[in-house]
Amino acid sequence: MEDDKIGVFVCTGYGIADALDVDALCKVVTEECGVGFCKTVESCEGPGLAGILEFVESEELGKVVVAGISARRFEGHVFPAGVVVEHVALREHVVWCQPPGEEDTQMLAEDYLRMALAKIRKVSAPEPFHPEEEIDKSVLVVGGGITGLTAALEVAKTGYDVHLVEKADRLGGWLAKQHRSVPTKPPYRDLEDTGVDALVAEVEGHSRIQVHTSSVTGSISGAPGLFDVTLASATNGEPGDSFRVGAIVQATGWRPKDPRETLPYGQVEDVVRSIDLEEMVKNRGTITRPSDGKEVKSIAFLQNGGAPAQADHSYCSSICSLTALKQALYLREGDTEAKAYIFYEFMKTPGHYEDFYRRVQEDPGVFLTRGDVTDVTRDDDGGLVVTARHTMQGEDIQVKVDLVVLATGMEPNAADGEAIRALADAKRKAETGDTEEQRQAAAENVEALRQHEGTAILNLDYRQGPDLPALANGFPDSHFICFPYETRRTGIYAAGAVRQPMDGVGSREDATGAALKAIQCVEMTARGEAVHPRAGDESYPEFFLQRCTQCKRCTEECPFGVLNEDEKGTPLLQATRCRRCGVCMGACPERIVSFKDYSVDIVASMIKAVEVPDEDEEKPRILALLCENDAYPALDLVGQHRLRMNPFVRFIPVRCLGSVNSVWITEAISAGYDGVVLIGCKYGDDYQCHFIKGSELAVARGENIREKLQQMAMENERVEIHELQISDYEQLPKIFDDFAEVIETYGMNPFKGM
Amino acid sequence: MNKAEEATPGEAGPALVAVDAPTRIDPDLDFIRAIGDQAGDSFKLCFQCGTCSATCELSPETDPFPRKEMAWAAWGRKDRLLSDVDVWLCHQCNDCSTHCPRGGRPGDVLAAVRMECVEHYAFPRFLGRWVARPVYLPLLLAIPAVLLAAALLARDGIAEALGFTPNVGERIIFSYSRTFPHWLVNGFFFFFSFLASIAVVVGVVRFWRALKAGDRQRGSPPPVKSVPASILSAVRAAFTHERFAKCTTARTRYVSHLAVFFGFLALSVVALWVITCRINPLIPDGFVYPFDFWSPWKILANLGGLAILFGGAVMLSDRVRSGRPGGGSRYADWSLLALLLLVVLTGLLTETLHYLRLEPHRHATYFSHLAFVFALLMYLPYSKFAHMVYRITAMVYAEHIGRDLPRPPGGEPARPPAGDPEATEEESS
Repeated sequence: MEDDKIGVFVCTGYGIADALDVDALCKVVTEECGVGFCKTVESCEGPGLAGILEFVESEELGKVVVAGISARRFEGHVFPAGVVVEHVALREHVVWCQPPGEEDTQMLAEDYLRMALAKIRKVSAPEPFHPEEEIDKSVLVVGGGITGLTAALEVAKTGYDVHLVEKADRLGGWLAKQHRSVPTKPPYRDLEDTGVDALVAEVEGHSRIQVHTSSVTGSISGAPGLFDVTLASATNGEPGDSFRVGAIVQATGWRPKDPRETLPYGQVEDVVRSIDLEEMVKNRGTITRPSDGKEVKSIAFLQNGGAPAQADHSYCSSICSLTALKQALYLREGDTEAKAYIFYEFMKTPGHYEDFYRRVQEDPGVFLTRGDVTDVTRDDDGGLVVTARHTMQGEDIQVKVDLVVLATGMEPNAADGEAIRALADAKRKAETGDTEEQRQAAAENVEALRQHEGTAILNLDYRQGPDLPALANGFPDSHFICFPYETRRTGIYAAGAVRQPMDGVGSREDATGAALKAIQCVEMTARGEAVHPRAGDESYPEFFLQRCTQCKRCTEECPFGVLNEDEKGTPLLQATRCRRCGVCMGACPERIVSFKDYSVDIVASMIKAVEVPDEDEEKPRILALLCENDAYPALDLVGQHRLRMNPFVRFIPVRCLGSVNSVWITEAISAGYDGVVLIGCKYGDDYQCHFIKGSELAVARGENIREKLQQMAMENERVEIHELQISDYEQLPKIFDDFAEVIETYGMNPFKGM
Repeated sequence: MNKAEEATPGEAGPALVAVDAPTRIDPDLDFIRAIGDQAGDSFKLCFQCGTCSATCELSPETDPFPRKEMAWAAWGRKDRLLSDVDVWLCHQCNDCSTHCPRGGRPGDVLAAVRMECVEHYAFPRFLGRWVARPVYLPLLLAIPAVLLAAALLARDGIAEALGFTPNVGERIIFSYSRTFPHWLVNGFFFFFSFLASIAVVVGVVRFWRALKAGDRQRGSPPPVKSVPASILSAVRAAFTHERFAKCTTARTRYVSHLAVFFGFLALSVVALWVITCRINPLIPDGFVYPFDFWSPWKILANLGGLAILFGGAVMLSDRVRSGRPGGGSRYADWSLLALLLLVVLTGLLTETLHYLRLEPHRHATYFSHLAFVFALLMYLPYSKFAHMVYRITAMVYAEHIGRDLPRPPGGEPARPPAGDPEATEEESS
């Protein structure tokens, strides 16, 4: 195999030969681009593909361009290792969305071949990253509750070693404090044993699990496969065991919200939290009034944290509902004349829990209503009177009870790593700031961030902060809809109630998922491959540090905290942390970051490979850089649905919009393109970006691009950024038709032919 | 509708709608269990979607039933339900029960509440309790039978003491009038009617007062129609079955109930005619009893009996076919239906045996017929039969307060265009 011997295969099937002049395409390859080997094949699937593979072997081709079907439809894995394959989707991107036999259609196909050849000339086969030290395949589980116990057991049963760290002096977490569990199996009517004792015994008896109770993670440095963990005593902070692990499951669970702000908790006696009632039943077996020890005959469960509705948490979960239903049965099971009232804003009993809800509803002594509780007052004879309005009784009502139980809001037992880092930065600036104004502003910042002081849990040695970055409500940021357990720190997986409020069933499921993720991580890291979302990618970024100016853009913008810094601010790559999105490549003004198969130079070559017609030919050229996660697959769908696409657009896929280096845009304008469109994923609170903030970064960098356009005396309107989700593929043609109209109003790019 | 929808905060000036004091609720668990026994436990599953009220053809637009009644029942609000006129405006078409997404059977719940009402307003109360519970059935049947038997055994002595002579004149020619003298049968009839009437009057008064008191407490708007006018409307509605006719799910019940209703009416008219023969000024001298088979009275009585038999048979088949186990049909339904059918069957059998001149079989049948008739009469105020009086009372009350009239939320009902509102208000007060 010769590394740089290129072969091009042009498919004639799929209607390609009917719509295009295939001979002319081959001429572009052989005569214009000077590639000696160009063959037409009928198909690039099945026997056609087998034919291609025979040629690859007999001709000892090192690089192969297959011009036929989309890469997403192609069985790429059949090529021998080390062979670089590049695809031109003549079918989806040309034949299916362009009129056959037209000059513009032919030009489009030829340009795509030129771009593919320009790219493949500069690409070399990636070599997987292997650190000098051996990858450790054991897993650290932080938190010994139901999630941590399950995760530890799942990992151990799969044949990997586990370190289980628990802050308390015994395992079990919140579940161990519960009297009974809500039903988890048909017919979902009867309360169950929590099963936590058996689980703890199994974990403690497992030979692969090393349990560290009364311990916290004092420090964690390194990267996936190479995490160095030092424990600390949970009581006095003294350093404990040190060991190395390959991946981490954060199962730190939840902490109760202090209900003081909303209802008269702490002001009126006999108003307790649901966790207090749980403890009372678990430890004493009976329910009594804290104020006078009288046996409780009636309880009002208040679920919504008081009026106004939603004053509590915006992320109301099903746990509070299920807990109230369960605890109503505690009361009723002991006394057939007892009365339990549940006032709720939302009764959430998803899935089979509906059956449990029905069972509790049927109980003659349980009374449920939606309603806003406005008041809890002490009656003359020692009872509590609960007043509620907007109830389902059609009027404002009052009930008299012995005890009021408040739903316990669940807050994640997590720290906001980025905020802790910001606090440290602000503190430093408040002392060392250059001007009085700067120091003042930093001091105000310190106050605003003070709540994060001393909250660190994982104590990661990461430049971007000692814990996982958090979302709005303090839950670890994880793109939770598509990729549960994932976090923004590679090799660290959040599971259980730290990720979102959930019950024992949800926690077990979560723990199993996270355990598999952790195993996947150590295995792929050992093979030198990327993990989600570019799972299996063997390329990794290389930094040409001689040219680094220590501007820190890459270390700040990396969504995954891959890069630490030395004292001067030079990035220190921890390659196994890397997800290969290329955001650092897009950030770097010096263009020193590159992958073997993706670099500023490679894409720039593709841009320049396009033949730009002269101004008087009235054929504009538009460059479109599409995120390969959503927008580029959407382009395939445009073809599949036979939508008509503007023939003047040349599409190039990018790993993430965050990897777009602004130099590509200036290159395109200099090369005579009339406009550039960037299309990425949705961003914002409900972002869909696979790399968290790539498209957001692209927008933020837009200022930089505008400056460059200004320098070139070009209009801002020649560059557009759009957000698109794959299901919106039908909007894609319109984006370019509209953009073509905009371009028309500004006229052709004067740089053409220069 | 919802009293809690008061003026929005921050609005200047006094609130336009007075905010009522919250209602203190203490659920009655026994009441809930009683409803559950009769209507099934799933009535507590109500989540107030309102499908029941939306599908009900009889429910008024304002504060429609049975949605609110379901919420009250689930919370064991016995007092509220017993003073709720809407409970009696329901004819148990069961459109609601068919469509309830939670299997709550609102139609059955309201039926159960109605029986609770009957028991609650019963006078004397213990009889209400006895009639409601199957365990007392033998005792209840034994009372009229034993009384009648005792009276028959002692009839000659009583007759002598009272100075009656055996009436075997030229007009009454059959020997049974010796066995069952008219004075005795009529006496029993009057006696039981008197008792039942007292119980009905007391029950109705209690019920009416509870309705009034409830409305007063809730500050409901004043009545819109005088009581006599309301009675006229209600009786007209009862005769035409116009509400029942709106049922869709229980279409056959309209037919069967109509047959039983008019059959019973016919038999009552004939019975009164006969019983009052001596004092009835409308009866000419030529009164001959028993009637000839082709006598218009006899024809009316036979048609009445057949109507009940037909209606009762349809009811029976409906209940047997559609009866959900433990629900749909309860003891109150079965006992009344059975008694009614027994009355008619024994009556028709007596008549047949009479024409066949079969004695003493005829006497035995007649005895059981009389016992059943007296049971029906005596327990009318406590059995499901009482729905006749309570429902008509409720219909009168509903007319009285303008329940069916569209009412703007929180406002008074729209007055009917005709009539003098001032006058009607005075009459009603």
